[in-house]
Amino acid sequence: MKKTLAMLTVLAFGASAFAVEIGQPAPDFTGTDINGKTVKLSDYKGKIVVIESYNSDCPFCMNQYKTGAIQELQRDLAAKNVVWLIVDSVNRKNFSYRTPEQARTEWADRKITATAWIDDSSGAIGHLYDMKTTPHMFVIDQNGTLVYDGAIDDRPAPYGDPRTAKNYVRAAVDELLASKPVEVSQTKPYGCAVHYAD
Amino acid sequence: MLMRRFATALVSCLLLTALTVRAAHTQVQLLLSADTAKPGDTIWAGVDLKMETGWHTYWKNPGDAGMATEIKWQLPPGISAGEIQWPLPEKFPPIEVTTYGYENEVMLLVPLKIETNFSSGQIDLKANVSWLECKEVCIPANAVIQATLNIGNETKTSVDSRKIDVWKQKVPIVLTNPPLKAWWEKTRAPDVRPLVIDFSIMPEPFKTNLVDFFPNASDQFEVQASSEEFPIGLVSRTEEIGVRKLVKKFSGDWPKEVSGVGLYFMERGPVAMEVKLPIADQAPIGEITSTLDSSPESRTGVAPVSSFTGKNTETGATPVLPLMLFYAFIGGLILNIMPCVLPVIALKILGFVREARSEPRRVRNLGLIYALGVLISFLALAAIVIGVKAAGHHAGWGMQFGSPVFIVCLTTLVTLVALNLFGVFEVAPGGRALDAAGELASKHGAAGAFFNGILATTLATPCTAPFLAPALGFAFSQTPAIIILIFLSAGLGLSAPYVLLSLNPAWLKFLPKPGAWMEKFKVAMGFPMLATVVWLFNVAASSYGKNVLWLGVFLVVVAFAAWIFGEFVQRGRGRKIVAGIIVLILLGGGYVLILENELDWRAPYVATQTNGSLKESADGIDWQPWSPAAVAKARAEGHPIIVDFTADWCLTCQVNKQTSIEIPSVRKKIKALNAVALLGDYTHFPDAITTELNRYNRAGVPLVLVYPKNFGASPMVLPEVLTPGIVLDALDRAAK
Repeated sequence: MKKTLAMLTVLAFGASAFAVEIGQPAPDFTGTDINGKTVKLSDYKGKIVVIESYNSDCPFCMNQYKTGAIQELQRDLAAKNVVWLIVDSVNRKNFSYRTPEQARTEWADRKITATAWIDDSSGAIGHLYDMKTTPHMFVIDQNGTLVYDGAIDDRPAPYGDPRTAKNYVRAAVDELLASKPVEVSQTKPYGCAVHYAD
Repeated sequence: MLMRRFATALVSCLLLTALTVRAAHTQVQLLLSADTAKPGDTIWAGVDLKMETGWHTYWKNPGDAGMATEIKWQLPPGISAGEIQWPLPEKFPPIEVTTYGYENEVMLLVPLKIETNFSSGQIDLKANVSWLECKEVCIPANAVIQATLNIGNETKTSVDSRKIDVWKQKVPIVLTNPPLKAWWEKTRAPDVRPLVIDFSIMPEPFKTNLVDFFPNASDQFEVQASSEEFPIGLVSRTEEIGVRKLVKKFSGDWPKEVSGVGLYFMERGPVAMEVKLPIADQAPIGEITSTLDSSPESRTGVAPVSSFTGKNTETGATPVLPLMLFYAFIGGLILNIMPCVLPVIALKILGFVREARSEPRRVRNLGLIYALGVLISFLALAAIVIGVKAAGHHAGWGMQFGSPVFIVCLTTLVTLVALNLFGVFEVAPGGRALDAAGELASKHGAAGAFFNGILATTLATPCTAPFLAPALGFAFSQTPAIIILIFLSAGLGLSAPYVLLSLNPAWLKFLPKPGAWMEKFKVAMGFPMLATVVWLFNVAASSYGKNVLWLGVFLVVVAFAAWIFGEFVQRGRGRKIVAGIIVLILLGGGYVLILENELDWRAPYVATQTNGSLKESADGIDWQPWSPAAVAKARAEGHPIIVDFTADWCLTCQVNKQTSIEIPSVRKKIKALNAVALLGDYTHFPDAITTELNRYNRAGVPLVLVYPKNFGASPMVLPEVLTPGIVLDALDRAAK
């Protein structure tokens, strides 16, 4: 244990450098969605993009989906021409990994209304965006600049109705559409840890 | 009848299970420190969570993910619950998503205050505990737990109170005056800023190098879990340890204070303290340089093991910048008599003797120009160090000696200088520097003085003199301005004797009068130059391996060419042009055939280590290659360790080795103590060793460390110049 602690405490900073920064261009990525299609962030230049870090079994995500709150948000934003990308960075060996077929079933069962669900089991996109929890949300404006990075709302709980909480993603998108500056651009994300590959 | 028995059994079963509630993977129960309590008492409630193997629950600050356990009390009026006291958690990987929590078991302690006017009787205490338990997947859970308490006119401790006491010990103690300081460093990005937490080293036997800080949760900012550790304090004295963590700001201004738990990891377990630290806007001046306020003896009563200078610097007189500059100056002075530099200086004195008689004022000016040459070279070196530092690489003193091209050029140059001193060829007085080599050492005039200054500096670089080392080590970690100051001081020291003599021509009276002895002196000075060639040859050998033989051949060709030049071009009567052409052919041919072809001088082949041991002779010390892993392994196995960081081009290192390390008494001692000997070869400046040298505030080699057997103790840093006594003594101490 001492060695693990020693390892944890004596580390160079390179690893934990902050890759994404508010006000800077959001890094481009390429992924494959659960239907086998290639998805690139740059495909959506000119549109507002919301990225959601997802884990099928994380109680925090499940609460958002079981109450229907997040699907409602996805639908509302889709109506405003906002792109919603789900990034599932759970590694293949983990209990919560979903094969593309299982994911398609889950998509239908949970009535997910996002643009795409990207299989990021390698963790590449997760690491690129320094995704820490599920759900961890990012909002990118029409010019490709990152304007929000953090929690989905101000109630870090795996129960209760998220609709009663202040939703940071909805607020940011509304502000962008009204050409107003995004008021809350960073919050501490809550949820389960992203289960990256070792 | 049977039905009633059955019903009773069923009810008892249910009652029993009601006391211990089990959610999916965690068992929770409520324990009390007393069976009976008096009104006015404060008793302790222990909310005990037992997790199945592999499952964990979270601390009050869960970290990057997770959720802290919550307790909602349902208490009868007149009983109030205080804040949860959290035992020290563990830190869970991975590093990108670090969390703080508990495995196996944790008891959260809550003080319960009973009002003074509480009436006697039996009361039920209930709590609704909600938590998140995670293994590969996370499950939120909650449970209602309860316990009964009697209120009477005496206090009777319960059978659980002992267990509660054990867990109370694990709660970090609140310290209002902790031995910790905190300050900000310069912002790295608009919302990212490094925070340094400075831990004063505890006195023996609590000394440890492993520390950490677990921050409390905040909505406005987040202190990252990964740390960078570095010693704070003077060279070879790790009085304090700094831990640098990046802070990400979500909103608002940079916080003015940080609260959390500071911990020291010891053999017997961690020592943790709950602190609230004001954050200074920058490092307190003198923090990096001195621990002036408390001399080691007064604070601990025992001289610290980690510093072992052998000089009398233990009395608390710790250098600040002026003293460092003084050290640099003395170092520069001493460089004057180093074998690399002495011949050049000696020759300048000769020059004095010749010129002083006729033009004292000119001599004074020349002295100043020499000093200027030295200072400008040192400035150039300072600029290189700053540039390399800025480029993010580690800077090591003597680093230019890592380039094989440089070594070959310097070896050739010094050979020519030696030949010139032997009188093989001459340099026309007052002439221009056509052939940089031979002329530099014995040139007259302003240009000569200037080039002499530069040459003196170039030759001095591999000789990290004892006084120079701490100053340079200090300088490398400082700002560019301080680096420049230190280098200039060293330059002043190097040029001081010459300048003094040139400013006080009267003192030249004490110099001997010119005569035949001068010529003999000049030739004699050629021999230290030859010695330098041999040493450089050895350095080149590490780059070229056996092929260095060809370098020797090249030098012979150059020497031959020099003789032809001297004998036929300079001293000859006729056929000067033919001779000149022969010289050029020899040099050109030598370059092409030998340097380019045989030697492949720009990209030398370096033989790789075939086996682990670096033993030098049959009964020599069995050196293993140094690496942090090797150190950790040897420490884990309980061996004392001696680490020698050395380089082929480092004269002091070689002297130390011959006089104080590879000697029978030390070899015997190492065997007797079953010590591990690790060799860090810095000849080609591997980054890992540069980092290690910087940890001890050393700019270059030599550095010899002795790690004690005791895992928690920090290594002893031995002084630059070793004696057998110092090494044997350190090994003895290490074995205790």
